[in-house]
Amino acid sequence: MTLHFTPVWFIAVPLLLAFLAPLWVRWRLLMPVLFSAQVALFALALSWIPAVRIAPILETIVIAPPLGIHLHLDAIALLLVALFSFAGAIITAFIWLDNGAAHLRERPAFILILLLIAGSNGMVLTGDIFNLYVFIEIVGVSAYALAAIRRDKTALEAGLKYLIVGSVAAIFILFAIVLLYLQTGQLNIAALAQAFSNMPAQMQLLIGLLMLIGLGIKAELFPFNFWVPDIYRGSDPEITALYSGVLVKAFLFVLFHLTFILLADPTVARNWLMALGAITMIVAELVALRQNDLRRMLAYSSLGQVGLITLALAFASEATTAGALFHMINHTFIKVLLFLLAALMLRQYASLKLTDVHGLSRTMPLAAGLFVLGALAVLGLPPLSGFISKLWILKGFSDVQTFWPVALILTAALIEAGYYFRWIRAFYAAPTDAASMAKMEGEKVLNYAPLLVIAGVLIVLGVAPFLLEDWLQQAAQALLGREALLNAVLGVQP
Amino acid sequence: MLEVLELFDRPAVLHSIYLIGSLILFFIGLYGLLAKRHLLKIFVSIEIMELAVYLILIAIATTPGETAPILSDGLTAFTGMSDPIPQALTLTAIVIGVAVTALGTSMAIQYHRLTGKVSVGEMTELKD
Amino acid sequence: MNLITKLLFLGLSFTPAATFFTWDGAVAWSLLNGITLSFDLTPLSAFFMLLLAIGAPLIAVPMLREKSDESAYALYALLLLGMQLLLLAGDFIGFFIGWEMMTWSSYLLLLRSPRTDLEGAQSYILFNLVSAFLLLAGMLFLYSITDDFRIQAVDGLLTADKLVLFVLFGLAFLIKVGALPLHLWVPRSYDQAPDLFSAFLSALMSKMGIYGLMILPLLFPDGFNEISGQIFNGPVAGYVLAWIGIITATIATFKAISQEDMKRLLAYSSIAQVGYIVTALGVGSSLAIGGALFQALVHTLVKLLLFITIAGIILQTGHRRFIDLGQLISRMPISFFGVLIGIIGLAGMPPLPGFAAKYLMYVGLIEAHWLLLLAAMILASTASFVYCYKLIYGPFLGHANSPEAKTATEAPWQYLIPQIILMGMLVALGIFPGWAIDVLIDPVLIGLNMTPIGTPAWNVLATSYGGYDGVAVMGVFATVFVLITVLFLLVRGNMHRAASPYDLSFCGEVPTADTPLHYGAGMGRELRRVPLIGWILRHTTTGFYAGLTRQTQAAAGMIGTLYGSNPQTWLLLAVLIFAVTLTIQSVTGA
Repeated sequence: MTLHFTPVWFIAVPLLLAFLAPLWVRWRLLMPVLFSAQVALFALALSWIPAVRIAPILETIVIAPPLGIHLHLDAIALLLVALFSFAGAIITAFIWLDNGAAHLRERPAFILILLLIAGSNGMVLTGDIFNLYVFIEIVGVSAYALAAIRRDKTALEAGLKYLIVGSVAAIFILFAIVLLYLQTGQLNIAALAQAFSNMPAQMQLLIGLLMLIGLGIKAELFPFNFWVPDIYRGSDPEITALYSGVLVKAFLFVLFHLTFILLADPTVARNWLMALGAITMIVAELVALRQNDLRRMLAYSSLGQVGLITLALAFASEATTAGALFHMINHTFIKVLLFLLAALMLRQYASLKLTDVHGLSRTMPLAAGLFVLGALAVLGLPPLSGFISKLWILKGFSDVQTFWPVALILTAALIEAGYYFRWIRAFYAAPTDAASMAKMEGEKVLNYAPLLVIAGVLIVLGVAPFLLEDWLQQAAQALLGREALLNAVLGVQP
Repeated sequence: MLEVLELFDRPAVLHSIYLIGSLILFFIGLYGLLAKRHLLKIFVSIEIMELAVYLILIAIATTPGETAPILSDGLTAFTGMSDPIPQALTLTAIVIGVAVTALGTSMAIQYHRLTGKVSVGEMTELKD
Repeated sequence: MNLITKLLFLGLSFTPAATFFTWDGAVAWSLLNGITLSFDLTPLSAFFMLLLAIGAPLIAVPMLREKSDESAYALYALLLLGMQLLLLAGDFIGFFIGWEMMTWSSYLLLLRSPRTDLEGAQSYILFNLVSAFLLLAGMLFLYSITDDFRIQAVDGLLTADKLVLFVLFGLAFLIKVGALPLHLWVPRSYDQAPDLFSAFLSALMSKMGIYGLMILPLLFPDGFNEISGQIFNGPVAGYVLAWIGIITATIATFKAISQEDMKRLLAYSSIAQVGYIVTALGVGSSLAIGGALFQALVHTLVKLLLFITIAGIILQTGHRRFIDLGQLISRMPISFFGVLIGIIGLAGMPPLPGFAAKYLMYVGLIEAHWLLLLAAMILASTASFVYCYKLIYGPFLGHANSPEAKTATEAPWQYLIPQIILMGMLVALGIFPGWAIDVLIDPVLIGLNMTPIGTPAWNVLATSYGGYDGVAVMGVFATVFVLITVLFLLVRGNMHRAASPYDLSFCGEVPTADTPLHYGAGMGRELRRVPLIGWILRHTTTGFYAGLTRQTQAAAGMIGTLYGSNPQTWLLLAVLIFAVTLTIQSVTGA
């Protein structure tokens, strides 16, 4: 019997493995299973590339759309699923090899991480809007619990705050879905897209705003992202890596997927979303200037990059979209790298305040070096992949002679340089407390193995970005191609 | 008197009453969410808001006179039944809501045990 | 192991030379669809590659003396790679890649000095990134019009577009060369960088800004005329550029005179010298461009020589300020000759090639009839004698002012080898200025579609306004030098024990501990009382940039208060925005 691979595996496999957790505990296989699950999913995603290149794959569950639920695996969904499983593999490998943070290597964390990955994959794949809500909640619940998993004061505070804000956001999204259903009687996203333009304008606006605020909170857009720094500061850096690398990307995708699908003319929302992205970027970068805690700084930097990606995606032209997707990928790599470095630094230093990490390069040269690499990539300096993606975005804007985003992006990058280089300088400055330095243990190369993989990827993609170019172009077309999607799902001309 | 009652049976009127009621409920929840400091009260408010949304869905998707969408008790055809989807959705959403609230409550209890605090306003550990 | 690393590093420092001699044929690398990097060696880039090829190994040799430091070596190699990329690049993307690699790797090298403070590091990287982003903006603007990233002549542009391009690129490169008032980072970084790396910054990296400015005539082949109209028989843009250069040169010269620290003095002198080059580029005639290239060559050699020599002095004495040194002439004779040759080249006096370079630039200004500029340049050039004098007097003459200066010995051989090579090169160039014109400069001018200067013989510098014979001049100077030295040595025997140098300094008085005994103490302070110059020297740009930083920080702090810690506030804001937007949209009926 040959195994029949279907997209549902991306959701089913992690769920199944999570439910079998007692078994893995008994066999002491928790971490190997977690890691190999991600690797297997990544391999599965790669094996789909040739098929998806020809046509998107529809996986119907029980009844064909628009009545039943279906999963939709096109180039963009495949790209994100591959990205999530790759990031997941890196993070779990790190947790596995790392000798600190025992609470992350136990059963609750195991289950929650798998749920988070399954939910994110589901959000990307599903073609049904209520199903989307269910996945959003699965991701949400596991994210709240993961934020608090350390079970001390700060972690619980972060978890509680996240839960309050997150569930209100979910109510907004649910409200929008309910209104959509009441207006159209449809839950399939493609069918909704056809019916959406027939709704009264007021209702369209109400639904749009509800969605925007719900997803805006989740996707960390200004002015709905005030929760981010606190949560990122309180949770474990390994978990924040998941948030910044996987979760936010999934929500950004949902936001833009819905925008491009539901609105027959995406230019209606263009100015709104571009303005939101630009404000998010500038505000976050400015505020980050004054941050004296590494994790808070990284949180704001993450917000800034989300703003940049939003700005570029909202422009809804193929060149900027492909660039923005590339930047999304790069940002996942970079933030995973930087947050995991923060985790390693936390093992050695009680606090990650700017004044406390002076001279870090003496005790942790590899960590400092990788931080520099990550910072250069996030700033978009060559020859790292961050440069290519930023260049791609800027080139996309220049193609159509729209220069204000170019100016804003460059200004934001300059402000960003202002704080990243402050930290780099601190790492390479003379240590403030030489006595405690001597006591610290050296670095274990094994801990760094996953990080070195990311560093390698950043360099390779910076020198040879054409490796991903076709895929990104197709993904951009899939994200923007409303007609193609409606055709594929409903089989009719919209 | 009877006319008035019949008026209430008209779907449009009934729906608006439900809608107004649910929205009032929603705003009560919103008020509690924004004004109350106690963690558990905030969770209750969130639940009220969720309930309001469920109510809107159920209330507007059904009209008086429809039967439950179950083929039993001699019913053999899908006529005069209410739309089953909203009910399925609501059930699912309730389950999710319960899970979130349970998680929140357990975290709040644990937080209280560790710090003795119950108010959101006092949660300032993360500020530096 | 240690030795192998060092040898490997030394080998890496020869890569620019290898590229220079063995490069053949163009290389292309396709990044993305529509972005292809092409690399080739044009005559212009070959000239700057030669500077790099000379400088890189000469700085690497003294670096070998220190303990083997792999990461510094790796960064140095990356820096060289970046600079080669930017020189070879045939399109702006490749140029930018090289430019940025140069920026960040040099920043990381700068951090390796224990003297680097936050302001120094931040101003270095931020100024350079502003320069880089202006460059990026410029090339994106160019791309949006021509659909092409290649560095080639652009035509069919509107005048306004050309002006925008000119301003963007011009600002980017002027920041890199440290033109006033964008120079804040230069003295700080040259001062704080590791001593040998200062040589690299001043001699080689500032030349990349010059290379960038030289690309501008490539982009606008019909001169700057079209951009901005004419003034005084020349284009306004060129005239403005020339004035920027000369103002930079003049002010930086006076700043240099008032410095107390050797490296800071050299930093300001670098700004001034590069200012001359900018002026010559503004003139834009073939004579002036030739002079600019010659000046670039001489300045590279001179600054390499001076910074390496000063690094040797700092290494041996541990002091960098003039008032802590003195009387090293007898203990560090080779270094003395290094500085002597260096300052003669720097001041542009015959018989060394600095004179030839200045001569060409003067002639270029005369030819353009920009006599006010010529006068200003002669003023700046003459004023520079003062700081040159300070540079030789401070460390080498007088009496020793610190215990270290009293016991110092000659710099180690790793420092002396580059010094001797550079002295030899400067003297040889002084004898054969025509060779430099013929072999180095004319090919570049031909590559830029300009008339070559030409030379009748390798030992002759000839222009239509006259010239000189290098052999004859050098012969006269050498003869006089030998005669005076012999005479001095003969007489010296008699006055050897006439008096202790201290007696000269004290004049019979008994100094207290805080009496500055050094001849150079407070030198240049009086400049502040000169009306205009004093005003300029008192008003620095530091305050402006500090204010800018403060304002940004304040704005950041203000916006930062939005990010409170109460979830209810977050939600309240979201709900309020929802309500307000909904109301506005409903009312306006959008």
